[in-house]
Amino acid sequence: MDARLIRNFSIIAHIDHGKSTLADQLLLKSGTITEREFRSQILDDLDIERDRGITVKARSVTIDYVYQGETYELNLIDTPGHVDFHYEVSRSLAACEGALLLIDAFQGVQAQTVANAYAAIEADLEIVPVVNKIDLAVTRIDEVLDEVETVLGLDGTDALRVSAKAGMNIESVFEAIIERLPPPAGVAKNPFKALVFDSKYDKYRGVVTYVRVVDGSVCKGDNIRFMREGVSSEVIELGQFRPGLVPCDELRPGQVGYILTGVKELNRITIGDTVTMARAPAAEPLPGYQKPKQMVFCGMYPLDATGFESLRDELQKLSLNDSSFSFQPETSDALGFGFRCGFLGMLHMEIVQQRLEREQDMDLIQTAPNVTYEIVNRRGDVMVIDNPQDVPDAGEIQEFKEPIARVTFIVPADNVGTIMQLSQDRRGIYKNTEFLGPQRAQVIYELPLSEIVYDMYDKLKSVTRGYGTMDYEIIGFEAADLVKMDVLVKGERVDALSTIVHRTTSDRRGRALVKRLKTEINKHQFEIAIQAAIGAKIIARETISAFRKNVTAKCYGGDISRKRKLLEKQKAGKKRMKQFGAVEIPQKAFLSVLEANRDE
Amino acid sequence: MKPSDVDVYAPPENSHVSPRALYVHVPFCRHRCGYCDFTLVADKDDLVPAYLKALENEVNRLDGEYEVDTIFIGGGTPTHLSTKQMERLAEILLSRFQLTAGGEFSVEANPDGLSDDIMKTLSGIGVNRISLGVQSFDPEVLKTLERQHTPVEAQAVIERSVDIFAQVSLDLIFGVPGQTFDSWIATLEAARQFPVRHISTYGLTFEKGTDFYRRLQQGRIQVAPDDLERDMYAAAMSQLARAGVPQYEISNFAAVGAECRHNTVYWQANEYFAFGPGAARYVNGVRSTNARNVSRWIHCWLNGKSALQEVEQLSDEEKRREAVFLGLRLVEGIDVSVFRDRFSSDVVEIANASAQQHLQTGLLEIADNHLRLTLDGRFLADTVMADFL
Ligand SMILES: Nc1nc2c(ncn2[C@@H]2O[C@H](COP(=O)(O)OP(=O)(O)O)[C@@H](O)[C@H]2O)c(=O)[nH]1
Ligand code: SF4
Ligand SMILES: [Mg+2]
Repeated sequence: MDARLIRNFSIIAHIDHGKSTLADQLLLKSGTITEREFRSQILDDLDIERDRGITVKARSVTIDYVYQGETYELNLIDTPGHVDFHYEVSRSLAACEGALLLIDAFQGVQAQTVANAYAAIEADLEIVPVVNKIDLAVTRIDEVLDEVETVLGLDGTDALRVSAKAGMNIESVFEAIIERLPPPAGVAKNPFKALVFDSKYDKYRGVVTYVRVVDGSVCKGDNIRFMREGVSSEVIELGQFRPGLVPCDELRPGQVGYILTGVKELNRITIGDTVTMARAPAAEPLPGYQKPKQMVFCGMYPLDATGFESLRDELQKLSLNDSSFSFQPETSDALGFGFRCGFLGMLHMEIVQQRLEREQDMDLIQTAPNVTYEIVNRRGDVMVIDNPQDVPDAGEIQEFKEPIARVTFIVPADNVGTIMQLSQDRRGIYKNTEFLGPQRAQVIYELPLSEIVYDMYDKLKSVTRGYGTMDYEIIGFEAADLVKMDVLVKGERVDALSTIVHRTTSDRRGRALVKRLKTEINKHQFEIAIQAAIGAKIIARETISAFRKNVTAKCYGGDISRKRKLLEKQKAGKKRMKQFGAVEIPQKAFLSVLEANRDE
Repeated sequence: MKPSDVDVYAPPENSHVSPRALYVHVPFCRHRCGYCDFTLVADKDDLVPAYLKALENEVNRLDGEYEVDTIFIGGGTPTHLSTKQMERLAEILLSRFQLTAGGEFSVEANPDGLSDDIMKTLSGIGVNRISLGVQSFDPEVLKTLERQHTPVEAQAVIERSVDIFAQVSLDLIFGVPGQTFDSWIATLEAARQFPVRHISTYGLTFEKGTDFYRRLQQGRIQVAPDDLERDMYAAAMSQLARAGVPQYEISNFAAVGAECRHNTVYWQANEYFAFGPGAARYVNGVRSTNARNVSRWIHCWLNGKSALQEVEQLSDEEKRREAVFLGLRLVEGIDVSVFRDRFSSDVVEIANASAQQHLQTGLLEIADNHLRLTLDGRFLADTVMADFL
């Protein structure tokens, strides 16, 4: 394959601006898939992604397209569109020369449009702005193009105007990819060098490594080496994504494809690594990426102790396909043996949890999520705190630090005041405001991550009636007056309910939490006190009175089956509870911390 | 199990558990009370002839003739039928079922419109026990419940019933929105004034599909507080015991020897025949329930087709567990020896395995060779019973 005829590109966009729809069209119009094979949004091949319409994992596909008599090989590398997955965006972009920046003709530039465009600019890609959904009854194309220029500094004059859904002007997209994006600039004679930009685990084939060849070429039987990991292995098979795995003989400069080796463990292949020949290696590896950093953690426990091993197996399996998710065994007095799991963000957490519950049919208790903290102790050591239980006694702590995010909001101009108030209430530090036009503004704040991850997005959507968007990046850790708040149920501390809160909000949080717990925990045969405490000091208390009656004094004639079913239902409800001393705490109660924040 | 997999009308195998009880459901009422989710149609008397024809077809689907110890005609309001229709109903049943000498023949009735004629007809066909839906002697409560009678009418009906039938039972409801503790005590007091030897008390529940349920969801009606309901239930236990009508089952109170024999069949997990829409039967180890939709049931049987809602073949283990939860409804509990003879397993062991904590906290007890709920346990019966399933 002549590199002159290759184009490697991504489509980047704010969520719902039509990335998956456009990708489908490109596959369809080029005949990569037939109408019959066409499944809507073919690149989102995980169930949950399809469900939620979110692309989580980057995926790749090779498209053949005949243009002016020549057959071009276009490699589309899909990118995820959500804040949680920035990291995956940047690693996909590193395998490309260009990007289509897709913008909704009515919604215009949104927070993730900005974030993704900046990532593409940073990766030095050629960017083609594409205004999508021009078939909508109401569009603001000219204003949208103004925004592209003012906010992103990109030239809007040659922007494409398409409708991915209606299949309008799709040819102009192919033309722009070929005419405006540069071909890859590899050297065939140099030693083989390729970038690992993704990997996935396949039950039958082991690890499928996604590569983008930079220099040289690779064939079946070659002995290759992963430079950073120092792992060598023979190439058992190589090929391209069309869109399934289709073997070929060779991958040449600029080409995108997959390599199968004898490696069976996903964690031995690092994304961002460089592949070269074992015998004639390249002199220098390609610049790698930073490892993704988990910022949100929660405990996951099997509902009954016997589930521990199978939970471990399932987490292991999940991590095979998701290197940005981590898990470590931990124990809790209240919940027994389980795992502390780390995620890129809340959406990532929800997806993993749903996958476990839905796909593996596991009964889980999940503790309320927390962000990661740093504590400098009296001896000057820095401890990373992923679990509130690990917070040492107050006397041991010299400095308690929390992660700070730089948050970009794009909101209707009318809502600027509300957003500022919302951010101020959450200990935000104002940075600046920029008007994108008469009606919309970009507002930037620095906010503690803990104040935004749980519900800022929901709050933003509600105050802007759906028109506001946000994006954030972590800029570092800062000291704050943080304390651990414990919960005592019937006099005993339930470690899994401990949280880290800011001292100024602790009273309010404590009251909201115990109130919430009161509604979550059922009445028992005895009275139950629920208390929130900081150290030895009780800051809030509620009491659940004893339940005194649970009998259906009714007989349903001879309909015994019905009576039995009612009892069975009651019993099933009980199964989702954790026995803690004499108190049964329903699974959901462990998320009360979250709900209590929302209640406020 | 698919209803088509088993013939629920197959004649019972001849064994010590073959059914010796018959239930017939009469799905007619004048008005549907707001809390009621029973199988019935209100104000559709024109359906009665078709119902009777369908009932005849269903009864005749069973081959053979059977002797039973108890017959129970429930509803709905069976006494909503005319005297002619009631006679026809009896004819249909008695052509195939014969009541043993000294057998119990019960009919449910409502005070409103309960004429002397219908009572005489009932007595004529052999009915010897009447169960009256009195519910309350407080006019306010009756109004809330949308009952069609007044306390005075109820009083008159009870007095006449006592003259005609050997056994009279009253149904009373507690936990009604707005009902005070004092109102309930007054109702219990009033009930004690009559020479009745059986009383059933029901705690009001809010069933899906009822008007009450909808009002509850909309916040237009309030459930009685937990504590009040418990106190009312406790009051029934003590008051009625003092009046010589002690509790013998979760919802039932009777003078010694006046217990309802038909209902006891259910609690002892014995088998019984049943006919009519929504009726549940237990024959040959299979529990089955007829279609609850009255017109569907009628329509099917007019065409000679059975109309089943569900069919459940119980495994030995299920039979055993069911016997435990049903038996616990009885105040005397489960006879350990009888249970062992019947199921070849030890009910105490089952309790130790499933409900150890209830034995420890005193909701369950083993005494006099019986496993039973304690007095405290009766208030939390559902909690305990669920653990045996
Ligand atoms: N009217 C219209 N709707 C579109 C167009 N392209 C995509 N959509 C719709 O926009 C929604 C989001 O599209 P999707 O491709 O999933 O966006 P993604 O989140 O960027 O992948 C879907 O409901 C699409 O049907 C378009 O050109 N016109
Ligand atoms: S009279 Fe009885 S059966 Fe009829 S609707 Fe009222 S409560 Fe239900
Ligand atoms: Mg998508």
